[in-house]
Amino acid sequence: MGIAKMNKLYLVAHQAEKDKVLAILQQLGVLEVSDLQAKDVEGQAWAEMVEGDQEQEALQSLEARLADVRFSLDFLQRYYPAKKSLLAALNDSKMVVNSAELSGSAAEWDKVSSNVYVALRKTDEKLMLLRNEETRLQNLKIQLTPWVKLDVPLEEIKATPLVRTELGTLPAAELAQAGAELAAAAPACYLQEINSDRGESFVFVLYHVSGAEDVPAILKQRNFNRQNFPQLQGTAAENLKRIEQELVKAENERKAALADAAEQLKYRDQLNYFLDYLTLERDKKQVVANLARTGNAFILEGWICQADLPELKKKLAAACETVEILAREPEEKEAFPVVLENKPLFAPFDFITKLYGTPSPRGVDPTPMLTPFFIVFFGLCMTDAGYGVVIALLGIIGLKLIKTGPARNLMWIFLAGGLSTVLFGWLVGGWFGLPLLGAPLFFDSLADPMRMLIYAFALGIIQIFFGMAIQFYRLVRQGKILDAIFDVGFWYLLIIGLLLFIAPGMGGIAQSMALAGAGGLILTQGRSQPTIIKKFLSGLLSLYNITGYLSDVLSYSRLLALGLATAVIALAINTMAGLLAGHPIGYVVMVIVLLAGHTFNLIINTLGSYIHSSRLQYIEFYNRFYEGGGRAFVPFRLKTRSIQIQSELQNK
Amino acid sequence: MIETMSGLSLAIVGAAFAVLLAGIGSAIGIGIVGQTAAGVVTEDPDKFGPTLLLQALPGTQGIYGLLIGFLILQRTGMIGGNPMDITMAEGWLYFFSAMPIAFVGLMSAIAQGKAAASGVLLIAKRPEELGKAIIYAVMVETYAVLALLMSIMILFGI
Repeated sequence: MGIAKMNKLYLVAHQAEKDKVLAILQQLGVLEVSDLQAKDVEGQAWAEMVEGDQEQEALQSLEARLADVRFSLDFLQRYYPAKKSLLAALNDSKMVVNSAELSGSAAEWDKVSSNVYVALRKTDEKLMLLRNEETRLQNLKIQLTPWVKLDVPLEEIKATPLVRTELGTLPAAELAQAGAELAAAAPACYLQEINSDRGESFVFVLYHVSGAEDVPAILKQRNFNRQNFPQLQGTAAENLKRIEQELVKAENERKAALADAAEQLKYRDQLNYFLDYLTLERDKKQVVANLARTGNAFILEGWICQADLPELKKKLAAACETVEILAREPEEKEAFPVVLENKPLFAPFDFITKLYGTPSPRGVDPTPMLTPFFIVFFGLCMTDAGYGVVIALLGIIGLKLIKTGPARNLMWIFLAGGLSTVLFGWLVGGWFGLPLLGAPLFFDSLADPMRMLIYAFALGIIQIFFGMAIQFYRLVRQGKILDAIFDVGFWYLLIIGLLLFIAPGMGGIAQSMALAGAGGLILTQGRSQPTIIKKFLSGLLSLYNITGYLSDVLSYSRLLALGLATAVIALAINTMAGLLAGHPIGYVVMVIVLLAGHTFNLIINTLGSYIHSSRLQYIEFYNRFYEGGGRAFVPFRLKTRSIQIQSELQNK
Repeated sequence: MIETMSGLSLAIVGAAFAVLLAGIGSAIGIGIVGQTAAGVVTEDPDKFGPTLLLQALPGTQGIYGLLIGFLILQRTGMIGGNPMDITMAEGWLYFFSAMPIAFVGLMSAIAQGKAAASGVLLIAKRPEELGKAIIYAVMVETYAVLALLMSIMILFGI
């Protein structure tokens, strides 16, 4: 178990069978297709024959149709958002389609989708026109509103042979001045303030042609701003009334258009199915870009789990006539994509491993190693049996409701962590902060934190030693036995020696072990350095790493601190609630305080326990043996959101 | 004023400091993350869950401060209504037991807030890397946990 064995696979087949082969590969979903540049093909003779393969035209047409379907779906989503419950989203409920019937259904979806697209496009254009019209009307309304008191029809605001009329705004402060100047310069002039708003005066000006030069000049000097309402008939008030009517009409038209669009809502599911279908087809065409071709054949390169290889060969041989498959183990330094394979008990804890990253293909899958530690640490960080019961119950309910996906793994982790919390809570804590059912069975960590601290350190030393053992095993398996002894063995000697100093009567053995370990480290840790002096100095300096071991062990004190935090806050909640007892209303408030307080404590400490238990794995444990930098395996498979394709190929 | 102060007052000053400083730190830290998270959520409302998780991280210091404050009140008999008669020397011990979590809580919550805010930016671009963003922020919290531990140990040693 751990990191799955991968094989590099080359597949050669006739062009005529390309679509069929790709469809089968997609349905099986076990092969990661690598980008095969023609020049990378192994062997000179091949390389000269092949070129990159492309199906640009088909790809573009699919992308265009995808864009159409997305437009329809986005449009519907914008005006009629589909509500998907959290549970449905987690469970990924999909419609099951048989692969044989897929193309038939797709043709039907295609027809529906085109009709919907045409209808929605039309609605969209209509809505856009209406929106523009509404904007125009609103602007006009804003312009006209100040003139509502003007009883002159707007079409009469114009120049006649003898009289000029104008509408416009003046700064309110200038109004009196302008009036005085006008009266002085042009006697046959009439200025009336119709309205004023925010420091602006809306004025009506009427003057005889004799003032045609003086009046505009004076007005301009006073910052007169002319307003025109061409194409409007009747008074401002009449126009405003008409605008209101037109706005109502536009709003009604908008509603009608949307109601038409709502007719298409019943096709939403089919649109989603078609989106999936088109995506699958596009994925297939995109893979083609990773292929190489000769005149009549194509070549495909990829990675596959060794365990899946016979199945793939069998299925392809049964369905196609010209397929030839070559597979080989990865070469010495070749990086291959990583699949984590674990027994069902450990598999959910992949979740924790993957949160950190993918291990190197040559490294170790840490999942089975970290699982027991994670569960124990989680329980110790919570240390309340009552909370443990709640978490475990949440896990069980979650497992009942959630059927697939990473959320289900998290529920397994909850269940295991919850049970561990019950155990440790009963041993060294309580039930919701109370000493019920004989808790604490072992000792009270709140009364004797030093004892708990020593246990926490002991757990830390065990995990760190375990991590070192993994590294030792890894080095030995790689044939680097000396490295294993120098880099891990001597540290064991030194640390165990130092630890033994604490035990009474072991001083002698402790001293010799520690000295042997330290001596070994000084002699060997500089072995990659060129000169004797440098070897010695790096060896001596390596002893400084003891601080790393020390701080790593100290870091496990968080197990105590977080456990105490849960316990003390639970105690604080109980104490506060206890103060309220003794009065009828007090009892009601007490129940509320207890419920809210313990819920808060549970949530905040579950988060803390999960994160800190993970951290101890990532920083303190991984540090000893983990090698990261791997790349997760991404097979070419059926990636769907709304449909689930069932094919006889998938039945093993 | 010092002359009239009993050991008990000093212990209560300590409890107040633990809650005060660690709480201020957490408030600032959570505020920093919240500002960044709000910016990210304007672009992508689906990121509310993961950003909220990151925002919660600098909140623990305030809880640790409350915890020490509560423990001091409990051990001096303030909770339960029977305040103990405490000498000045003991009062100083209680006072200083609050100092590690008060000051480390204050500073580490702010630093953790900054780390978590950057983590929010990280998941804005790469939502799948939430785990790493959390780990960066949790690295800071180690020191708050150590301070809490020291506060508890002093307190239980009195």
